[in-house]
Amino acid sequence: MKITLPPRVSPVQFDTALKAFEGAVGKEWVMATDLDRDAYSDIYAPGPESEWPASAAVSPASVEEVQAVVRLANEHKTPLWPVSRGKNLGYGANAPRLPGSIVLDLGRMTKIHELNTELGYCVIEPGVGYFDLYEKIQREKAPLWLSVPGNAWGSVLGNALDHGMGYTPYGQHAKNLCGMEVVLPDGDLMRTGMGAMEDNHSFHLFPLSFGPDWTQMFTQSNMGVVTKAGLWLQPAPETSLALTYDIPNEEDIGWVIDTVTPLKIAGVIEQNVFIPSWLGKIVLMGQRKDFWDKESAIPEWRVQELLKQHKLGYWQVQVRLYGDEGLNKARAEVIKKAFKKHIDTPPIETWWRQGDAVNQYDPTMGVPSAVALQMGDWVGGRGAHMGFSPVVPATSKHVLGQLKRSRKIIADHDVDFYASFTVGGRFATNINMLMYDRDNAAQVTNIRKMFDALIKGTAEAGYGEYRTHLGWMDPVNATYNFNNGAQRRLNERVKDAIDPNGILAPGKQGVWPKAYRDQAKGGAA
Amino acid sequence: MKHLVLLPLLFLAACNAAEEPKTAPSAQKTAAKGPPAGGPPPIPPYQMRAEAGASGGEALFSNKCGACHLAGGMGTNLLTKQMLAAKRPPQDGMLANRTDLTADYVKTVVRNGKMAMPRLTKVDVTDTQLDAIADYLGKGK
Repeated sequence: MKITLPPRVSPVQFDTALKAFEGAVGKEWVMATDLDRDAYSDIYAPGPESEWPASAAVSPASVEEVQAVVRLANEHKTPLWPVSRGKNLGYGANAPRLPGSIVLDLGRMTKIHELNTELGYCVIEPGVGYFDLYEKIQREKAPLWLSVPGNAWGSVLGNALDHGMGYTPYGQHAKNLCGMEVVLPDGDLMRTGMGAMEDNHSFHLFPLSFGPDWTQMFTQSNMGVVTKAGLWLQPAPETSLALTYDIPNEEDIGWVIDTVTPLKIAGVIEQNVFIPSWLGKIVLMGQRKDFWDKESAIPEWRVQELLKQHKLGYWQVQVRLYGDEGLNKARAEVIKKAFKKHIDTPPIETWWRQGDAVNQYDPTMGVPSAVALQMGDWVGGRGAHMGFSPVVPATSKHVLGQLKRSRKIIADHDVDFYASFTVGGRFATNINMLMYDRDNAAQVTNIRKMFDALIKGTAEAGYGEYRTHLGWMDPVNATYNFNNGAQRRLNERVKDAIDPNGILAPGKQGVWPKAYRDQAKGGAA
Repeated sequence: MKHLVLLPLLFLAACNAAEEPKTAPSAQKTAAKGPPAGGPPPIPPYQMRAEAGASGGEALFSNKCGACHLAGGMGTNLLTKQMLAAKRPPQDGMLANRTDLTADYVKTVVRNGKMAMPRLTKVDVTDTQLDAIADYLGKGK
């Protein structure tokens, strides 16, 4: 990719900055060729990758090197875009929001500082991937389990910091973060939580501090670079029991939610319950053309044919219990009784006990896998996806309302409907997978229009997205509009106070520093 | 999450048995059980990658590419499907089994990406490490 310089930085200034970075991290780790820029672009970009171009990447290996790079970036006024491992596929991968930003790739910071089996946590750096941490646990025979996202190729901290979700009792990943070390935008170093006290023994155990705690301020944020964090891990359970129900009809999601939510809030169900629609199952069985050979959305009659042919319900619910066998049996009875009020067919019950084989594709079992990315093959060509991800109250009223609304918008754009709801407690996240062939310009244009319509329609109904692609960070931020965008205004005031040069991730989540506020755009980039 | 299992079941049956899987040691034992008679083939067990810091093309391939390209990985699954479509043996879905790759081709795909495979950065795999991996996989040279 040809170079796009950061705003208001001349080629000479840019070269001077890169030379300075080389002094801090070594020549090898300042990457600024056309091929390097390609490697730091959004591989799933809905449109040309040149819409979100990086000018270069710099990769420090230690907290001291991060501090040095951040200080130099201030000196040379070159904005940085920190990524942990840069595998945020569907949300922008490792590409920056502001064209010309220099990607600060933390992928070389791969230390696992601590794996504590007594109290169940680890202390890790941002370059540690799920596969790395999983294998460390296996090699040490540590009785700990991970909570993994659908695509587990990325960074453990990166996913938690971007509010990623998993499907175990530890599935709300940002809540597992406890005690972080952060390089501030001026290069200063601070620790959150109890880590604010030198050598405090509870750094990664007590989730608050004395006075305001800033931990969550650094998630989905451009206020600092997290260089190390504590993350709570689930104790390895003695047993696990999965209850799997095929739910026949689309509208059944209403009673399913009203059945699962109270059990989840009461603690009978501890995991995040993932409820994917039928296409989630078909999408990995072949390519779209094998099931429907027209470009138009798969019509309802064909959906019904496919469900019948493959013996699938419209939804599938798998409730998984973890821990003591007796407790799991008792919990299962409560759950089965609740489901029996609505469905006669009993669930398929699958027990797992310590020592049994683990299905490596089942993310409710905490095994990392990238197999979910096979969905890229569904549309053929350079298949890609974006996620439209609003949060709704976990009741039938709100879930059915959201389903009907997004289904209509998606049908109006003649696109296949592929949704899931994940019950995380009092809320459910609704992930709509929007799949497209990157080389089909008409398809990409249509998906982008639809994305705008989904954001607008969903916000008007009173719901917001919890995460979005680079190109829609500003529009989604604008939907958080209470009191003339008071949250955005506060974020901007804090940002300007601690990052006067605006060098850390300008535009991340729609938060623009004063120095680059003129670069914000109302619509997609 | 049954849906995540279905595709590999379609074609992984014939994956190279000569490739002795390195199963995870214990906390989660992953040795697959035999399939029920007439039922689908087993899902391959989780493949432990070589440890980071290991040297040599084979170990580097395992550590750097193993998340997708060992048995049961996303890349292996998609490539196996392509091999079957091209009337080639399914075990050619495992890159380590291929004899028709060249080192230059491997390097080009890693740095430029191909279909569902994203490009890898120099932080993911350095040029020196990639040379060793390409040399290991490029048996067709």
